[in-house]
Amino acid sequence: MNIKSNTLFLGIATATLLASCNKSDREPDNPGNFIIAVTPAASTGVADYLLTASGLDTGRISTTGQGVEQDGTYRYYVTHNNKFFSMLYGQGNPGAVTTYNILDGRLNKLSNFQTETVQAFAPVNNDLLLMKISRNITNPFASWYRINTNTLQIESEGKVNTAAPSNNGELAHFSWIKQVGNKVFAPYFSIKACCSASFETAYPDSAWIAVYSYPDMQLEKVIKDNRTSYIGRYFVDGLGVVENGDVYAFSASVAVTDGKMSSTKPSAVVKIPAGTTEFDQSYFFNVEQASDGYNITDWLYVGHNKFVVLVTTKGEKGQYAAGKRLGVINVVDKSFKLVTGMPDVDDINSLTNMSNYSAEDGRYGYVGVNLKSGVGYVYKIDSDNASASQGLRVDGGTITAIEHLD
Amino acid sequence: MQYIKFYVTVLSFCGALCCHAQVDHFELSGFVTDAGHQPLHGATVKINSLTAIADADGRYHFPDIRQRQVQVAVTAVGFESYTGTRTLTQGANTLNIMLNPQTNELATVEVMGLTKAQEVNRQAYNVTAIDATKLYNSTMDISGALDRVAGIRVRESGGVGSNFNLSLNGFTGNHIRYFIDGIPMDNFGSSFQINNIPINTAERIEVYKGVVPMWLGSDALGGAINIVTGDRYRNFVDASYSYGSFNTHRTVINTAYTSEGGFTVRLNAYQNYSDNNYKVMVDAADINTGAYAPGTKIRRFHDTYHNEALITNVGVVDKSFADQLLVGITLGKNYKEIQTGARMVSVFGGWHRRGTTIMPTLKYKKENLIKGLDVIVNANYNLGSEQNIDTVNARFDWFGNSKPTGTNSGERSRSLYKYRNNEGLSTASFNYRIANRHSLSLNNNFSTFRREGSDELNPTNAQYERQKRTYKNVLGFGYNYDIEDLWSTTVFLKHIHQNNRDGADARNAMDKLGYGLASAYYLTPRFQLKASYELTNRMPTAYEIFGDVENQEGNFQLNPERSNNVNLGAAYDFALREDHRFSLHTNLIYRRAYDYIYYRLNNNQSKTVADNRDGVETFGGDAELRYSFKNWLMAGATLTYQHIMNTQKYEEGYSGISPVYRDQMPNIPYLFGNADVAVVLQNVGRQGNTLNIGYNLLFVHDFYLYWPSRGGDKLDIPQQLSHDFNVVYSVQDGRYNIALEAKNFTDTRMYDNFSLQKPSRGFYLNLRYFINKK
Repeated sequence: MNIKSNTLFLGIATATLLASCNKSDREPDNPGNFIIAVTPAASTGVADYLLTASGLDTGRISTTGQGVEQDGTYRYYVTHNNKFFSMLYGQGNPGAVTTYNILDGRLNKLSNFQTETVQAFAPVNNDLLLMKISRNITNPFASWYRINTNTLQIESEGKVNTAAPSNNGELAHFSWIKQVGNKVFAPYFSIKACCSASFETAYPDSAWIAVYSYPDMQLEKVIKDNRTSYIGRYFVDGLGVVENGDVYAFSASVAVTDGKMSSTKPSAVVKIPAGTTEFDQSYFFNVEQASDGYNITDWLYVGHNKFVVLVTTKGEKGQYAAGKRLGVINVVDKSFKLVTGMPDVDDINSLTNMSNYSAEDGRYGYVGVNLKSGVGYVYKIDSDNASASQGLRVDGGTITAIEHLD
Repeated sequence: MQYIKFYVTVLSFCGALCCHAQVDHFELSGFVTDAGHQPLHGATVKINSLTAIADADGRYHFPDIRQRQVQVAVTAVGFESYTGTRTLTQGANTLNIMLNPQTNELATVEVMGLTKAQEVNRQAYNVTAIDATKLYNSTMDISGALDRVAGIRVRESGGVGSNFNLSLNGFTGNHIRYFIDGIPMDNFGSSFQINNIPINTAERIEVYKGVVPMWLGSDALGGAINIVTGDRYRNFVDASYSYGSFNTHRTVINTAYTSEGGFTVRLNAYQNYSDNNYKVMVDAADINTGAYAPGTKIRRFHDTYHNEALITNVGVVDKSFADQLLVGITLGKNYKEIQTGARMVSVFGGWHRRGTTIMPTLKYKKENLIKGLDVIVNANYNLGSEQNIDTVNARFDWFGNSKPTGTNSGERSRSLYKYRNNEGLSTASFNYRIANRHSLSLNNNFSTFRREGSDELNPTNAQYERQKRTYKNVLGFGYNYDIEDLWSTTVFLKHIHQNNRDGADARNAMDKLGYGLASAYYLTPRFQLKASYELTNRMPTAYEIFGDVENQEGNFQLNPERSNNVNLGAAYDFALREDHRFSLHTNLIYRRAYDYIYYRLNNNQSKTVADNRDGVETFGGDAELRYSFKNWLMAGATLTYQHIMNTQKYEEGYSGISPVYRDQMPNIPYLFGNADVAVVLQNVGRQGNTLNIGYNLLFVHDFYLYWPSRGGDKLDIPQQLSHDFNVVYSVQDGRYNIALEAKNFTDTRMYDNFSLQKPSRGFYLNLRYFINKK
């Protein structure tokens, strides 16, 4: 008896000792008000790590022994009301949202609360509006949840009918949502929502925006334009509101029918003038023409009518293809300039989508660049001369979000 | 100690009947039985320098003896040995031997004896066999017994019938194959899984680690588990019923009738039911506001599980054309409510699943069909179905309140999808003894898969339904060289061919060749060394290729995975003075897997999809020590350590070395063990009654949920220490048994998976009746 248990505990002790020997070396942290979400490139066991940085122009951060681990393989981030929200994308399951602020340059957890897995979210007034969008033809509804960012609780909720906007037998899948004045604009793509053709459509050559009242979320009207394809992309915000209240919208023109790219219209920018809910038929910015073949996959507003755009070439174009090249467009001048000073595109694995950073000062934007070498950098884009310069270095993963809290 | 003298019965002593007389040729055969005429399978019969082992019927046979005067020695574990001298007559002789038990020696068999399970352990493979018969008075299922084996960790997401994930030296899921009596269980459906088959169904369970014998004809990457149901008794009834915490009921009835003429009916029926309404500590969200009430202690309310199964076989035994020819049907169904998602904060109140199994079976076995040739043929076809039912358009909270979503959402994704996989299987295996020490074996295993499915809620689905088919054939060839009690070696080849078809146009074929070697050598009769190696191949399963239509997306481009598996082992049995007996088994393992199949999320993160990755490398070791004192105290412990490393040097799309290259694989237990102590008190109350008191400890070291090298503020799965107790009182030599069990006695919160709490403390009462007749 004694011999047995001694042997067991000796064994456990030895093995524990062995197991605890391989602690990794910690890198120094970088306290500050920028929050960088980093995902280690790994096939399995992937979690995001939230790191802080004091600035984006210089310095170095790493996930080696640093960062606040976020549960779940896919997470999405948004800042509003000076709070940072880390949301789980939970495959249809409800999941926890963790809220942080920054104290002394370090992340400070405020609370957890529960919401649904959502496909679009945006700050509206003092709230965060979340939308859970059906991709199943038997359920033609999207549920919405209005989160009060002070109490960090669900204030109200409801549903909208997603078969109603197009009324074409397909469902509307909101690419994103955005507050415009006192309304919520929800551009969408039409989907068959069934089976292996879930994200395909028979209507590849139209752009739509559903306009909802707020906070009631009543469908007020649907505006449509047949000069380009749908606005935004899956999980990509295609709308930009400039200083004078005009709304610009881009289309990547990547609709799919029967497994093939089917949009015949070019990637373009269209406009909804301030105070109206109609496409301006006198405005059309044919990006593919102006740029000699590039099409927009995502954009970042830097102010003064200028957007830093992520673009793909005609050859790279695809439903889920994200641009590895940058351009600067001025939506008023309808000008396009390719950004210089970026790493060679063959050395780039990906650019950060949707969660790049700009103070909207009219000049600078910061875009995460993940190199194939495994090192990432935040590049500072000067929109005045369409040039890029290397900034903060990020080791141990890809940059998925760059956010800032005061 | 009491020594009862043995006696020998010579039932008949035949004269020379041989047709053509031959100088100095004698043949001797007969049966070895106990006093109750039960065959003593495994008894060793020695005639001068020749040795034979009694078969399942207790029969032994020496075809060619060259001396007239012979020394006969018969030994069997737990029995007094017999020695004597005989004078044989020319030709066939018969000698039946009856051995008397050493009643007071029985308990020490635990360590020193050679039961059938321990006989399996002596094979050259890295194999552990569990003697299930010792667990018959418990409420365990197969997975619970497996959890006590070194190198194995069974991770459960909840109570009875919950999802399980068995890890064997770091390999999990489909990397491991399961068999019942050598027949692959791949097509048995959800009603027949190791987490719902009671332990009483099995006679023993064999765990082959890394190197899988070719007679288990299948493609496993990391090992195989074979449940042997056995046919120990010709006529018997074994019935048990248990009731316990969380409204858990289990019934098992095992019975067989065999007539003198060889007609046999075998019936195995069982049932499990549990509300699984154990208490958990959760952050319970308010469904209206989303606010959490942290640390709420609450009962699970939507976790009922039940399954019912009936296995019937009818046929003949001991005929000239067949030792066994059985036709049968396996019927099963299960119902399972789903309480939570991948994290316990996501709670469901209506979502459930159902499954049925309807499987006709055929079994044929004949030893010495022609001299030296043994044949086994099996076939079955599963007509059962599986269904996912999510029709409640509401969100539930932990208090059981619900709130309609107002949409047609279901709780997760509205579905009544029902499918049949129409899986068929046939196996044939041939074993031929060329000469005394040489034998050859050939095994072929053919399986088919044809999926049909529909969802009455979503008829448009049918437009996209394409017929999905696979055919797989595994052909194995082996050679075995065996010097009894000294050296045995097996070499084998396995060829696997698989054809996949998706609709009319998409098809592909894969062929793989694997091979292996296993060798064992006795330095002394009590000290055995083992080494084995296999290049394993595993074909992607139909689920991995075609998906499951609900949560898993298909990947038609998936490649077969392969692994180099190496085992080194040593087994040593020894005694310190006569009374302290020990048995020590240790193994070192090395695994290197390539094109490893793992799961990732698809483009929209709506489903998982199987994909290949470079692989993993594992070094590890395990040890098992068993001890017994006299005939009343037994104790044992196992400990397993495994270092499983990521060998994916470059991730897709990157040229730089991955930051987690050679990091320890996350979310896999790497240090765990078991310990047990049992006291057996004989003749308690009256002669023939025994009282057995046992304790079992489970230990699992804490481990990280995600990569160890990444992050500073990390999530982990805490250490587990679980204490289980049991008391069994057996009356009339085991005819009536009453048992009490306490599980998780200290009521600690235990997790195998991040956030998913396992059952709290539970008590169970088990009643069992067992009778057998010749």
